[in-house]
Amino acid sequence: MSDQTHMHAEHDLAPGDEEQHSVGVRILGYVVGLALALLLTATSFFIAGTDLVWQPSIPVALIVLAIAQMGVHLVFFLHITTGPDNTNNVLALAFGLLVVFLVVGGTVWIMAHLNANMPPMDQIMRMQ
Amino acid sequence: MPAVPTVEATMLGKLDWSAIPFDQPIPLVAGAVVLVAILGVLIWVVVKGHLPYLWHEWITSVDHKRIGVMYILLASVMLLRGGSDAIMMRIQQAVAYQSQGYLPPEHYNQIFSAHGTIMIFFVAMPFVIGLMNLVVPLQLGVRDVAFPTLNSVGFWLTATGALLVNLSLVIGEFARTGWLAFPPLSELSYSPGVGVDYYAWSLQISGVGTLVAGINLVTTVLKLRTKGMNYLRMPMFCWTTLASNLLIVAAFPILTATLAMLLLDRYLGFHFFTNEAGGNVMMFMNLIWAWGHPEVYILVLPAFGIFSEVVSTFSGKALFGYRSMVLATMAICVISFMVWLHHFFTMGAGPDVNAIFGIASMIIAIPTGVKIYNWLFTMYGGRIRFATPMLWSVGFMVTFIIGGLTGVLLAVPPADFMLHNSMFLVAHFHNVIIGGVLFGAFAGFEYWFPKAFGFRLDERWGKAAFWFTFLGFFVTFIPLYVAGMLGMTRRMQHYDVAAWRPWMIVAAFGMAVLTIGVICQILQLVVSIRNREALRDRTGDPWDGRSLEWATSSPPPVFNFAFNPDVRGEDAYWDMKARARQQSLEHDAPEYRDIEMPRNSPTGFVCAFFATIMGFALIWHIWWMVILGGLGAFATFVVFAWRDHDEYVIPAEEVARIDRVNLEERRSLVSMAGAI
Ligand code: HEM
Ligand SMILES: [Cu+2]
Repeated sequence: MSDQTHMHAEHDLAPGDEEQHSVGVRILGYVVGLALALLLTATSFFIAGTDLVWQPSIPVALIVLAIAQMGVHLVFFLHITTGPDNTNNVLALAFGLLVVFLVVGGTVWIMAHLNANMPPMDQIMRMQ
Repeated sequence: MPAVPTVEATMLGKLDWSAIPFDQPIPLVAGAVVLVAILGVLIWVVVKGHLPYLWHEWITSVDHKRIGVMYILLASVMLLRGGSDAIMMRIQQAVAYQSQGYLPPEHYNQIFSAHGTIMIFFVAMPFVIGLMNLVVPLQLGVRDVAFPTLNSVGFWLTATGALLVNLSLVIGEFARTGWLAFPPLSELSYSPGVGVDYYAWSLQISGVGTLVAGINLVTTVLKLRTKGMNYLRMPMFCWTTLASNLLIVAAFPILTATLAMLLLDRYLGFHFFTNEAGGNVMMFMNLIWAWGHPEVYILVLPAFGIFSEVVSTFSGKALFGYRSMVLATMAICVISFMVWLHHFFTMGAGPDVNAIFGIASMIIAIPTGVKIYNWLFTMYGGRIRFATPMLWSVGFMVTFIIGGLTGVLLAVPPADFMLHNSMFLVAHFHNVIIGGVLFGAFAGFEYWFPKAFGFRLDERWGKAAFWFTFLGFFVTFIPLYVAGMLGMTRRMQHYDVAAWRPWMIVAAFGMAVLTIGVICQILQLVVSIRNREALRDRTGDPWDGRSLEWATSSPPPVFNFAFNPDVRGEDAYWDMKARARQQSLEHDAPEYRDIEMPRNSPTGFVCAFFATIMGFALIWHIWWMVILGGLGAFATFVVFAWRDHDEYVIPAEEVARIDRVNLEERRSLVSMAGAI
């Protein structure tokens, strides 16, 4: 299928295809990614156990750190960029996020209502 | 006396002679007949010396066209199996008035469960996936799919699932839970037998196959398009393929995860969906429909694509409103993930949730309506040829509109409280699935058959098949709407209400008409094969088509196109093909080049062989065999991953030789057209 490679739309690369840099540059990218990921992980563990910060802010901080962690993975390991050669990957990511959001969000919403309307038997007994 | 575990008990898990239903003549005889037929075919194949041919040309083939044909063959065979179930159920309900009928309840329950499972997973799915495999690379103007060997693995895993379901006919039993195996009925405490395990493992294995097919086709559409084939020049069928396979990739993991949790409950004593210990049955309901509703659009979107191709070809016009069609397709793709609750309106979500999901469900009818109008406007003012594919398409429009309307009715929560799980619902989904998916599959079959095999199908038998199926459909399913409104619930093994009886008898009669339709379809195939010389398609363009699959010979060579067509025109199909033809006709001696194609590989078949062993062993708790099957499948994968020759070269002279034959035919066609 080698003669089909030239048929790929020009501004469109698969993850991993885009690497035209030398090995050194690539390794550097992964090392930076790893360092950032470790830093974020360590910070999360630290924040979770510390009493140096205002306590109610901890869950928020953890959420922020988790999102940053995902960002680091996407950029350094999955090579998602905003460049024009990345449209497919970004769209795929967006579609995936949308579906996850719809399914998880919908599920939480539906299950909460179901639980409110149809509590388990023992709970009904207790309410009486 | 203490029970001494025998050797069999440890070696064969739950399996012993009681698994064979010697006391139930119907499955035993049916199973025996099928077994004899399979053995007969096998012996015939071996004796006639066809085995090497089958092995090299089909079983190990990684050619997307061959794999597509095998998918369709699997679907057709399974359609006969699922159809037999349907006939048995219709007869049962016609006779079981104030009596037990001829099918005992436990058998009847297995039949309706197997019918639904087979029809959705092993008829509708393989049929549309087969057509997509066969056609999409040709329409995109490329030589193959993105992952040819993976494609073959996907097919064979689907076949494994089908095999396991049918094995349950003679060894053990099938689920009695309906095609979605709702807990708590499907939990160990209520279904201690192997039926649910047969169901779950077949779907797990074939589900992997479907996911693989989905990834392959998404990648193919996104990454492998011929020069100049940008997104807005793709034929409609490629768009619906993209949408449908995106849904597969997004939705099938939900099914796999849900069934995995059910299996954990059944095998390892977990409590995801049990009544006790904090399990939540409604979570299964929620998850299975979060997959289930996208699934119905996975099936029907490709059918929409087929109708788009057929309608524009046989109207001799470009598709009306191409861009709105693309938009409608993608809108359906997203909205189909926002409506799943409409399958359990009655189960306590409350008014706000119900209202929102009800409205979302009705909204999905809008893009669908856009499509219907686009097809009508494509036909409007066109010079319509009512060949068989077109008949199926027009029949679809009539039938599907009725099905869609009853769907919108069901999407009104107060109405659904009356109609949920009644025969009205049964009529609704058959109306959309038969009228939409099956008619679409048949339209595609009739339309692309000449492309796949090089000769056309007999039109007389084809038209007869259409009319019998079309009329038979209405005679069978309109009575079910009525029975539903008279209060008849689904899945009844017998009943005592006199008012339902006449409708069940009419429906059984309709089933007979439908059966004649199926017989006509088989006869069409037989007659066409016998007359194949007269029906031969020499030019590769029997219908005066508008997209690239008609720009190569029928059947296409392994490499599809000697030259990858260059798509330039904004004005999509017609122009594209005319240009593509011209290009290859212009130069007298085009410069042919060597072509590299992927090698055949038995990986798919061998993987599926081990998956079958593993699935069977899991169902029967034969643990050593599970390990064996798992190791075998893994070893196959490793061997495949380490091979170094994965392509072979077709020399330029060979390409030239194959291409010239077709070129001659086309030249004469073009010069004839020029003369007119
Ligand atoms: C306008 C479009 C549609 C709407 C608004 C709609 C609405 C509904 C609703 C509300 C139900 C649940 C009824 C109940 O359980 O009481 C239902 C069931 C169903 N629909 Fe549709 N539907 C539509 C199109 C389709 C299409 C295109 C297909 C398939 C290709 C389909 C297949 C099914 C199936 C298989 C079921 C029932 C499954 C079961 O309970 O076993 N529907 N539909
Ligand atoms: Cu639905």
